[in-house]
Amino acid sequence: MITATDLTLTFGKGTPLENPALRGMSLTVNQGEFVTVIGSNGAGKSTFLNALAGEVMVDSGKIIVDNQDVTKLPTYKRAGSVARVFQDPLAGTCEGLTIEENLSLAIKRGQRRGLSAAVKGRYLEQFRTSLASLNLGLENRLGDKMGLLSGGQRQAVSLLMASLTPSAILLLDEHTAALDPKTASFVLALTTQIIEQQKLTALMVTHSMKQALEVGDRTVMLHQGQVVFDIAGKDREGLEVKDLLELFEKQRGLEITDDSLLLG
Amino acid sequence: MLSNIAFYGAIETGLIYGLVAFGIYISFRVLDFPDLTVDGSFPLGAAVAAVLIIDGVNPWLATGAAVIAGMGAGAVTALLNVKLNILNLLASILTMIALYSVNLRIMGRPNIALLTEETVLTPWYNLDLEFHQVPVLLFTLVVLAGLVLLWRFMKSETGLAMRATGANPRMARAQGIATGAMIVLGVALSNGLVGLAGALFAQSQGAADVTMGVGVIVIGLASLIGGEAVLTPSSVVRALTACVIGAIIYRLAIALALNADFLGLQAQDLNLITAVLVTLAIVLPGVRSSVVARLTRNKA
Repeated sequence: MITATDLTLTFGKGTPLENPALRGMSLTVNQGEFVTVIGSNGAGKSTFLNALAGEVMVDSGKIIVDNQDVTKLPTYKRAGSVARVFQDPLAGTCEGLTIEENLSLAIKRGQRRGLSAAVKGRYLEQFRTSLASLNLGLENRLGDKMGLLSGGQRQAVSLLMASLTPSAILLLDEHTAALDPKTASFVLALTTQIIEQQKLTALMVTHSMKQALEVGDRTVMLHQGQVVFDIAGKDREGLEVKDLLELFEKQRGLEITDDSLLLG
Repeated sequence: MLSNIAFYGAIETGLIYGLVAFGIYISFRVLDFPDLTVDGSFPLGAAVAAVLIIDGVNPWLATGAAVIAGMGAGAVTALLNVKLNILNLLASILTMIALYSVNLRIMGRPNIALLTEETVLTPWYNLDLEFHQVPVLLFTLVVLAGLVLLWRFMKSETGLAMRATGANPRMARAQGIATGAMIVLGVALSNGLVGLAGALFAQSQGAADVTMGVGVIVIGLASLIGGEAVLTPSSVVRALTACVIGAIIYRLAIALALNADFLGLQAQDLNLITAVLVTLAIVLPGVRSSVVARLTRNKA
């Protein structure tokens, strides 16, 4: 479970470029929930995820992950309970390392690292089984450099890496946005499959309202650094993009002008 | 073309610079941390070892102390970068400059002669070998040990975390790797190796001198880049082997250039030759691949 209370964060404070990214963001994600997060550019989606992961420190507010206050902890100290997949398919893996080395890095996420061999024989069977479930033939390429893989393949492996060890929450930051449509739907299907199978708690930021309603079991919309609406269960069933837009306008008295949200 | 003594001498210094190249491989390649501390940590290693040896300390212990001193210097550079957010290159220049004074303080004078002292090499002269082969044998063993240990380390959990830190720090943090600590450890390790090289160099040359560090970074880089040009560094063990091969080739090339009478080069031309060799090492692989590309295109 993860609880964020009243988060505020302003970039470039005291400069002409001052930009309040989070203005009292609060959100609680319960164990086993799969929440999709939408919002236009500058709504604070990525900043919120970065704040949860520890990549940026909030100015005020509190972040509790699994009953532990992590507000002041740097990324690497939170990594044991927070798993991540980045938007950039190249960001989640090391291209100069082999597939098995990347997976071996991920299997020790948040744990002490010693001087024993990083790639252990007993890991390999687990790696092969996990990779085989991707149906990309990667199970026979454990020794290949990550850089030889395509963006979609690398993103699929990133997803696998994020789910190799248990975490309190899995953060997905528009992780299909940089892929071509076919690969994007493959990675999205894989995402829902892994989350369902392992009963993961996940927060997925997406740019597409359609995608936000199709997957997951709760949808949150951010606007100007705050949650503007939060729907789950019966309210969310059968909802379409135009319903979301109406909801948004009703709540805010605003009209959505960001085309990418409608077209996505 | 080369006399026996000049040949073995080139191999000997080549092996020592192989250790420097290991260090530069860790900072420049593994961590992507351009570290110029080596120009100071090389004479630091020499100074510490020399002072302890003339005080009667066991030469291997003195050499060990030089390694630790080098690691300390590296740690200072890394901490300036990690804790005080000083640009890595600048942090290393600050440490390098400071070390010049520190080295003078340690030695108490600009140079210390070791010709009459017992060094790590002394017992080995009892072996039935030619005089100039002895350092080559000992340093080969040291370099091989260093290569195997570094190779094992780079394959360990911590070593892999260090490689990830240099290659993709954001990903490394997300995997729970304390990237700051990895930079401190890596730059310390790198300068420890350079300190070792300085200590061995002083003992084989018979003196420690405060100016002996000038240009060590360039020679180390020349070795690294030259080795990579000869042996494509597709794996850790190949990259480490490339460091040693590069350093030996570099010293042999220098010895040849200086010995070739028809070229008319003299010792003072050393830095010019170094610059030319480094330029060639950087440019030639690109020329080779573009020639290959042109040839294969013509075929198609």
